[in-house]
Amino acid sequence: MKMKIMNYHYKKEKGEKMKNCIEVKNLVKEYKEIRAIDDLTFEVKEGEILGLLGPNGSGKSTTINCILSLLKFSQGSIKIFGEKMDVNAYEIKRNIGVVFQDVSVFEELNVYDNIDYFCGLYIKDKQLRKTYIEDALHLVGLENYKKFYPKQLSGGLLRRLNIACGIAHKPKLIFLDEPTVAVDPQSRNNILDGIEKLRRFGATIVYTTHYMEEVEILCDRVIILDKGHIIASGTCDELKHLANIEEKVTVEGIELSQKTLSKIKEFKNIEEVNYEENILFITYKKGKNNLSELMDFLKEKKVTYNKIFSERPTLNDVFLELTGKELRD
Amino acid sequence: MFFHNFKYTLKILFKSKMLIFWTYAFPLILGTFFYMAFSNIENSEKLEVIPIALVETEEENITYKEVFNALSKEGENQLFTTQYVEEKEAKNKLSKKEISGYVVLEETPKIVVNQSGINETILKLVVEEVEEMTTILKNVATIEISKKITTEEGRYGEEQFETWYTEIYKKVMEIQNEQEVNIKDTSNANLSYTMIEFYTLIAMTCLYGGILGMVAINQNMPNMSNKGKRISISPLSKGKLILSSVFASYIVQLIGLSLLFLYTVFVLHVEYGTNLSLIILLALVGSLSGLSLGIFVATIFKVNENTKTGIMISVTMFGCFLSGMMGITMKYIVDKNIPLLNKLNPASMITDGFYSLYYYSTHERFYFNIISLLVFSAILIFFAILSLRRQKYDSI
Repeated sequence: MKMKIMNYHYKKEKGEKMKNCIEVKNLVKEYKEIRAIDDLTFEVKEGEILGLLGPNGSGKSTTINCILSLLKFSQGSIKIFGEKMDVNAYEIKRNIGVVFQDVSVFEELNVYDNIDYFCGLYIKDKQLRKTYIEDALHLVGLENYKKFYPKQLSGGLLRRLNIACGIAHKPKLIFLDEPTVAVDPQSRNNILDGIEKLRRFGATIVYTTHYMEEVEILCDRVIILDKGHIIASGTCDELKHLANIEEKVTVEGIELSQKTLSKIKEFKNIEEVNYEENILFITYKKGKNNLSELMDFLKEKKVTYNKIFSERPTLNDVFLELTGKELRD
Repeated sequence: MFFHNFKYTLKILFKSKMLIFWTYAFPLILGTFFYMAFSNIENSEKLEVIPIALVETEEENITYKEVFNALSKEGENQLFTTQYVEEKEAKNKLSKKEISGYVVLEETPKIVVNQSGINETILKLVVEEVEEMTTILKNVATIEISKKITTEEGRYGEEQFETWYTEIYKKVMEIQNEQEVNIKDTSNANLSYTMIEFYTLIAMTCLYGGILGMVAINQNMPNMSNKGKRISISPLSKGKLILSSVFASYIVQLIGLSLLFLYTVFVLHVEYGTNLSLIILLALVGSLSGLSLGIFVATIFKVNENTKTGIMISVTMFGCFLSGMMGITMKYIVDKNIPLLNKLNPASMITDGFYSLYYYSTHERFYFNIISLLVFSAILIFFAILSLRRQKYDSI
């Protein structure tokens, strides 16, 4: 058992080549005539957080369920820790933790018992389990809610309990399937902090979400899925280059004449200009000092405004560029 | 880990209000209702002693006198209070409604009543029954004597006739007396409505226990719940998971059944008979059949848990209805017209098991029901296992 604790905190030495934790090759999953997953191939390296990003119905959860051997798949192969994943691959399962999108805890058990139940399916030693449960409670910030029943918890706290149940046994590989859906900002921050801690402990994490901000904060690498296909993959920065824009500038509370607007449209590096309801929205293909040039121009023309700000392109812009639709459509 | 899952399944089942209501509270409530409703009906149906008068005539009719004397003896079986009076007085008493009727003891007795009613009908039936019996006995005796005369003609004189008659009459009366005794013994074990209702109540509780098994299976199935998904990806084998969960639900079910027995015996004073070991055996096997029904419903029907609970409750209630829960006549109607239906109905097998244990001195019918329940359980479990062997799902 001691070995397992050490394994959990295992971190790769700098420069050591990272092994594949998950290898998915040519995965196809069909529901009658619909291809939910279409020839999916990807790897997840040990110790990394891989983000699976995509709109609802893009195949994120189906991919996870196939990897976990819950779902039959039509073609392809799946390996975890270098071994073929199967329903009876108990040694592999011992090192996997899953947090499903829907809260999956027992209403009849209190917080402590819920974690103890799920942890006990993996860890037989009672003393060790006790320590693990305390660690999990601390990780998600539920130390003061041990005796509470799920119905007494708020949505955010319930999500935290859901996470604690999935990771209490300190797995090496964790699947987090949209763990922050419908939670308050405080709980979301707490959950994201917890995931950061898990990464620091060396766990490999597959994180599915349609919140691109979370992916940008957490993930080392991102795979963007749409209709069961991988449409792009790479680090966040790599992906943002695919958006074909460098900067987005928004000016709120501004009144522009048609002539001034036409002048703005003639600026260099401009990709697109929109002006609606006193809000000016400009996207730049590339270039530096775009914001300051715009501000100088507005000052010169004596145009007043309430607020001006600049943004880098988001993954949503990448998705928009690649599919022509918003991530949350 | 088997014990870990067993322990928590017990905890979860005991803390589930819905399950505890259907498997523990509902049978107790229904039992109390049966007790209140049916014991009143039975009390109201108890016969009161009927006051009658007998009018003696010159034609002495010993048979009737003896019958009415016997039926007027004080005790549990007393049917009449009899007084011997003159016909005039009898008429007088009848008009004052002091008696329900009177019988003039002629060779063919005459019954006099003022109105039609239960008491009057009983009086009439008793007289008709005695008359019919006497006629049969006389005919039998006459036939026997005729045979003697034919076979031993000339060897005996006329004086022997009376001796033969007496001998044969005595013999026939002995036979009739024996029959009377037999009838009397059996009638002591006659079942009341209430007993049948309590048997069906136990059958219902056994089968409702299936809901516990169903829930226990559902919680382990990834296509039924997210908890099932989470449990399925744990390193605990499916066999251990299912077995420990089912074992836990069986224990919860048996505790519920024990509570019902204790409540009905000590609070409602229901007497189930003295054969305790066989009663326990039937309860254990009956619960097993309920459990297997729950497992079968959980694994075969691809619907949500609420629908499965609905199926379980409907099947159980319909089974109990056919076995006589809502009216004892239904059991007889099904037994008479579609006997196969009750042979396949676990509620009927359990009810019939208790009935046979209480009613018959031999246990053939009881063991037939036990074996039927075991076969029923084995078939359902077989199909459930076939379904549970599936490892992955097309969709979840």
